[in-house]
Amino acid sequence: MKNVVEFKGVTKHFKDFSLEDVHLQIRQGCVTGFIGANGAGKSTTMKLMMNLLKADAGDINVFGLDYASNEKEIKERMGFVYDSNVFYESLNLKDIRRIVAPAYKNWNDKQFFDYIKKFELPLNKGMKTFSKGMQMKASLAMALSHDAEFIMMDEPTAGLDPVFRRELLDILQEIMEDGRRTLFFSTHITSDLERIADYITFIQKGKILFNDSIEDVQNRYALVKGSMDVINRDVEKMFIKIERSSYGFTALTNDVAGVKAVLGDRVTMEPATVEDIMFYAKGAEKQNV
Amino acid sequence: MLNLIKKDLIIQKWELLVSVAIVVFYAIFARQLSPFFIFLVASIFLPLNAYINEEKTKINILWNSLPYTRKEIVTAKYLGAVLFMILSIGAAGIILYIFNYSYTIRDMAIGAGLFFIFAAFTFPLFYILRPGYIGTAIMIGFLVFSFALSFIVPFVTENFTVIIQFLAGFSTLTLYLSGAIIAISLYILSWTVSQFIYQRKVF
Repeated sequence: MKNVVEFKGVTKHFKDFSLEDVHLQIRQGCVTGFIGANGAGKSTTMKLMMNLLKADAGDINVFGLDYASNEKEIKERMGFVYDSNVFYESLNLKDIRRIVAPAYKNWNDKQFFDYIKKFELPLNKGMKTFSKGMQMKASLAMALSHDAEFIMMDEPTAGLDPVFRRELLDILQEIMEDGRRTLFFSTHITSDLERIADYITFIQKGKILFNDSIEDVQNRYALVKGSMDVINRDVEKMFIKIERSSYGFTALTNDVAGVKAVLGDRVTMEPATVEDIMFYAKGAEKQNV
Repeated sequence: MLNLIKKDLIIQKWELLVSVAIVVFYAIFARQLSPFFIFLVASIFLPLNAYINEEKTKINILWNSLPYTRKEIVTAKYLGAVLFMILSIGAAGIILYIFNYSYTIRDMAIGAGLFFIFAAFTFPLFYILRPGYIGTAIMIGFLVFSFALSFIVPFVTENFTVIIQFLAGFSTLTLYLSGAIIAISLYILSWTVSQFIYQRKVF
């Protein structure tokens, strides 16, 4: 499978935060969900992907091309949905089309108006009257009208009501059907991932903890429950984090086979949800999550 | 890149009318005003307003996400400003002519020259400063400028004859030509500085 985006050893330093030696691959034709706590580096990573920021070190390739010499070609094939309005607030969609459309070689007006109709967006109302969901649909309509192969979305489902969120996820699923597009989106809402993502990228404190298919993640991680007396130093090493209580412990492991071999029936194992993984990985005791 | 220039017109369709209204207003009510000043105001209005418009929103994120390079974005602003300046001065000339406001080609030339100088100093501010601080910066700039002027004006009056004699030593052509060269050089220098800053900008 080809990678649409590839980060190799990307580093970016800020005063109070840095992205360290990030390796990341986004696979073509798949939906990759990007998760991590606030301030973990999601926006920075996405900005690096769009060349809004320049890396201090490392290589970033999109469609196998680098920004230094192919910026326009890359952006020609990319669509973007940001978590806040980047369009002129006083302009309506008709005018925004007039300034955005000429930027793209393969803009398709018919497609644009079809999507506007489908998304039930008003053409003559200023962007400032748009709700967050409408703004997002407008951005998405523009990305789809120039037939973007890779669409990057920053928290598209945040702040949407549940009904609309479902609708959006359905739309996303639909646009992925022909298998030509690649979608990368950041989110806080882990149930979105379980619905539509093929791959999950998890970032924590500027480091990518994993970048795997959702099946792999679910097979590799498990929640282990048992009484405190099975815990010793060697056992502890198999856990990412242990939550102790008076009844016993609950721990996250990424070594299901190892735990089974050592502890067998003395503990119970449950599949870990993405949310469990996020929760336990935060403040993890061992680094190889 | 032409699209980037054109978009400043689309965005400012109302301001276009405002700038016409300003010139008409001057033509009717400010008949004692030096015509070059009207040309200067007319020429600077749209380019400056284009920057002020973009200061408010995260619009730079949009331009940089579309298939444009940073170089094109800055170049479009500087070339577009010259284009707007030429068109505005032409339009202002026609309006003043209609309202029987007498002016000469010299007024147009001085207006254009001052446009280059004013633009050269203000445009980079929009790249250097964070949005929201530019108004303050221009205000401070204005205070500093008027303070400086309070020194320059007495100096000029005191040494008026000397300066006039010095200038009279050159032919009119030399004077205008050197003025034009200085103004345009400043503008190009300003363009280079803006380009340098914008390449390194973080959004």
